[in-house]
Amino acid sequence: MAIDIVPPLIAAQLNYLVTHCPFSVKVENMWSGGKNTALLDRFSLVIPFCLDYIKWDVIYNALYPLAAPDVIFGAEDEKFRPYKAIGDASDSKSLKNPLTDWNNRDPTRLFSLVLQLRELYKAYQKKRVEEVDDDRLKFEISTMLSREGIEMSLSSNIDKPEEVKFAVPLLDLDLNKMVAGSTWRHQQKIYLQVIYPVGRKYSSAPSAPRLKLVSSPELRAVFSIDDFRLPSWLDGMCMAEYLPNLEDMLESQIKDAVSSIESRRKLIMALAPLFGRPVEADPVFCRKATFLSSSGVFTFMVHVAIPLQFPKQQPSLILQSSQHFNSQGLPIKSPVTTEYPWSPRWETSDMAERIFDFIVDECLNFKKYCNESFVQNR
Amino acid sequence: MNDLPIHKIQISGTTLASILHRLFSSSGDIHGLLLGHVSFSTTISLSDDNYSTADSASSSSPAADGPTLTATITDFLSIPCHFPLPLQHNNPSSVLLGWFSGRQKTPLRPSLKDSTTTLSLCSSASYHFTPQNSLHPLSLPPSLFLLLSSPFHEQLIHTHEYKAFQYRNSTDSFDPKSLDIINIGPSFRSHYDSFSPISPFPSMTCDLRGPNAMAEDEKAETLVGIKRGLKDQKELDLCAEGFEIGRLNKLMGSDASNYTAELEHLYDKMLVKLDSLARLVEKSSSKVLEQENHNMKLRYKVAGLE
Repeated sequence: MAIDIVPPLIAAQLNYLVTHCPFSVKVENMWSGGKNTALLDRFSLVIPFCLDYIKWDVIYNALYPLAAPDVIFGAEDEKFRPYKAIGDASDSKSLKNPLTDWNNRDPTRLFSLVLQLRELYKAYQKKRVEEVDDDRLKFEISTMLSREGIEMSLSSNIDKPEEVKFAVPLLDLDLNKMVAGSTWRHQQKIYLQVIYPVGRKYSSAPSAPRLKLVSSPELRAVFSIDDFRLPSWLDGMCMAEYLPNLEDMLESQIKDAVSSIESRRKLIMALAPLFGRPVEADPVFCRKATFLSSSGVFTFMVHVAIPLQFPKQQPSLILQSSQHFNSQGLPIKSPVTTEYPWSPRWETSDMAERIFDFIVDECLNFKKYCNESFVQNR
Repeated sequence: MNDLPIHKIQISGTTLASILHRLFSSSGDIHGLLLGHVSFSTTISLSDDNYSTADSASSSSPAADGPTLTATITDFLSIPCHFPLPLQHNNPSSVLLGWFSGRQKTPLRPSLKDSTTTLSLCSSASYHFTPQNSLHPLSLPPSLFLLLSSPFHEQLIHTHEYKAFQYRNSTDSFDPKSLDIINIGPSFRSHYDSFSPISPFPSMTCDLRGPNAMAEDEKAETLVGIKRGLKDQKELDLCAEGFEIGRLNKLMGSDASNYTAELEHLYDKMLVKLDSLARLVEKSSSKVLEQENHNMKLRYKVAGLE
């Protein structure tokens, strides 16, 4: 079989989609619809929605390069008819089915199609949730709707009871701007996932919703939501009461996390006069730095990993020899060390000096350790 | 009420096989129209087995409380899927029941295009039809949808996947339906009870010159039209060479036995004609293939693959 290739017109559209999309789209697999050709013209897109993923198959036709693609939605979305109401709707101009006047030479087409379909899907799920006959849910929706960007979906598995999922974006802060010099391509956000079981008519008091904090994965470099404890949900509470308190707590913790970047930066800067300029350092989140150091003729590297809870938690250190290698040809490293004198109340320059003093002693042990394992490998 | 559920969809084995073959032999995706008829049948399948009748009576199946609606797919039209569906079919003996979509290596779920096409077919009143043996005036939309696909992975044994649906406007859903495959054979005899061997004469566009030339004249044809008609007639005559009616007359009657040689001669000529026809088909097929390959090259060029 010939080498699989993506036809250029399709590749251009796919590239544009992946690089320009405001949310992260993944292309899961690509396959060829032709029998004789190995042109990859069909693929699955994994699109984030409501803190979950939806998978849509996009079907191009390599044999007819100018024909519009087709989309197959997920198995549970059989009733999603994005362009059904358009025929008779009055605002038909604003929502035109883009597949009717498709132009495959325009690389932005797939991008705008996916964006539009996702918006329509959001509206479709919202409509489904609003049709659920549950008084508490109706109340929650009416009080929450003033918030922008809420996504919701109704899960209707046969083997599971019906649930309504909300993804509530928290904090009206631009986290990308708060972290100076961040290179995040997508807007960082923290969401509260709220899952309501759909109440049966005769159940007594409504049970508490399942709550979970979810953040965009890149945010972990600055703030770990796992360290955040959600305030407890009181009986008879509603979202509108719960959210402000949660947001206040979250905001102060995020501000701490952002200011913690500065203290980490100061530590790296304080280490520089002692060890010399770092060979490598994380300039944005200041989570790690590597210094080249020597003791006599023994040269080694010091990897400093600074935790999010700095200065409460001390940095962990790893030494790596630049002269000794193990049997696999990899440089010999020391185990992670956090066992050295530390106090969060020290000045940053004190901390740096203590680390330096510790390394001065420790490197001799490490040299011995290297020599021993080096001899063993001979 | 034009959203009646269709209880049964029948298709002859050859028709289904032919659709599957079209998909399998085409290099890309195809789609097309499903033609046939829909009829009410009030026949209740009587069974000696008491239990089964009791079952069907107790279950709330729609068959129990009224005449069943059966759709029979007798014919189809197929084209590559980048062309629009040819909605003007001129086959007076069948109605448009719905359409089919054959896609290579895709999940068997109606796609965005499938649902929009079905919706627009069903919503356009001009495609609605009246079922046979209908007791009330009734018009049904062409709501059938047949989805075909080839398997994702190459297998030693070729399998074809297909699923039939009826689109229901009232619930806005594609209801999966089973396809009854009707073959010829003793076990399918009952299906041919209502069979009537009437086949429409294919509509030919060429003019027949002859006794009713007067009627033709009334149409005040253009010169070009007449010329073309004459040319068509000449071609027809060429095909019928050696088969003049007068000659055929000799084969009838009491002295037909004397004309065995004549008959054999005719037969030979027929064979020669068939042979030349087959050659013609072969030649034109290779030309079509050549053109297809050329088109493919052009399409590749358009796609920037060269």
